[in-house]
Amino acid sequence: MGRKLPLALFAIGAGTFPYCVQRVFLATPIERQMGTVQKIFYFHVPLAWIMMLLGVVCGVAAALQLRRGSRTAEAVAISAAEVLLVAGLGVLITGPIWGHATWGKAWTWDARQVSTGLLWLIFAAYVLVRHYGGVGSERLAAALAIFGAIDVPIIYYAVKIWKTTHPDNNVVGSLPPEMWASLWPCLGALVAMSMGLLLIRTRHEKTEMMLDDGWVQIEDLARESADKDKS
Amino acid sequence: MLVRQTWILARNDLRQEMRDFELVATAGFFTLVVLVMFGLSFSSLGRHAQPMAVPGILWLAVAFVGSLTLTRIFDRERESDTLRALLSAPVDRLAIYAAKAMVTLLVLLGCCAILVPGLVLLFDAAAPFAERPLATLCLVVLGCTAYASIGTLFAAGLSTSGGKNVLLSVILYPLTSPALMFALVATRTLIDGHPGFDAYLSQLVALDILQLAVSGWLFESVVIGSNAAGGRRRPSTRKD
Repeated sequence: MGRKLPLALFAIGAGTFPYCVQRVFLATPIERQMGTVQKIFYFHVPLAWIMMLLGVVCGVAAALQLRRGSRTAEAVAISAAEVLLVAGLGVLITGPIWGHATWGKAWTWDARQVSTGLLWLIFAAYVLVRHYGGVGSERLAAALAIFGAIDVPIIYYAVKIWKTTHPDNNVVGSLPPEMWASLWPCLGALVAMSMGLLLIRTRHEKTEMMLDDGWVQIEDLARESADKDKS
Repeated sequence: MLVRQTWILARNDLRQEMRDFELVATAGFFTLVVLVMFGLSFSSLGRHAQPMAVPGILWLAVAFVGSLTLTRIFDRERESDTLRALLSAPVDRLAIYAAKAMVTLLVLLGCCAILVPGLVLLFDAAAPFAERPLATLCLVVLGCTAYASIGTLFAAGLSTSGGKNVLLSVILYPLTSPALMFALVATRTLIDGHPGFDAYLSQLVALDILQLAVSGWLFESVVIGSNAAGGRRRPSTRKD
């Protein structure tokens, strides 16, 4: 089941996505004020939610890694950060396209835009530290991920505490039923794809850890036998 | 007990600094250089653009100087391997964090003592700093505390791990950006004479408390690792 779950998730994503595109572009009414460009909302918002969810997952997993030394948590934190970078890239590409069409400017240095960009940068730093940090840097990276997770509520409340041009958090709640009917499949498809990627990458990371352990054991044995030969 | 230990450790660092003024002199000189460079770049800005540039100049300079200060503070410990000795001494780890953060904060405040009057001298838009000294002092103290709280944690972590110093900049700039963003918005409201300045200052206080609490909580785990965390060993010969 464990091995088949990512494949099942990818299958759900692949099956639902064409239906999403059909629903968004052919079955959902065009928004009166923004026009056709509002269709990007059905991909931008789910990606942003996934990005924030993965930020929290990475932060919690990093805290578990730091406090309990859990290898699985460490693998989940690494994979969540990497999938977050992909989802974040989607948010940071679709957002400015939408902004350019509605505000006349792709990037307005709006509080939510800035905090989303910063969240992406923090997790990019996390991935960099994990890859190039050397021995012991996994603790440092874990702390970085925890601070990244703290940035998530800042993003959520940014539109409330600062004056921004970004739509506030109530917009999604006030959508008409036919728009919700398009948002749900998009969210489902993108969540399924992200979770599939997360599971596969986690398994890959755990395999890499086991291989590392194996190599360390071989090195230790080789060193021991060399010491014996000397004596 | 914690306060006493913090004070003793901070006093030790300050006493060491008083012997050669290495940190104060280099950080102070660097502040002056950054100020002159910003002055050369932005002095020709018009009256309308200056109020938008001055907050950025102030907090970017703090970020640059802070990075230099943090690197140097922990380089000393790394050079003589004294942080390891300090960590094995019967001292509360939180006191070590608090002492280092306090010294970093004092150095940053010393640099701000050059930076803020310099900005007032170079830019007309910075006049509110001189007109409202108490508000400016609160702003600078809170902004620098936010920077020092996170910076100390990661500089300490980097000095005890095998990581390279260049990683401090990779970690520090994105991570301190939310704090600098809060400080930037508050500075802009101070310069504009906006009535919401106090509210922005309270947000900065909340952020300081949050960052100090999380950094204090994480310090021991980051610097020496928890008992459960054995640390991942990587093979030395395996090539990917």
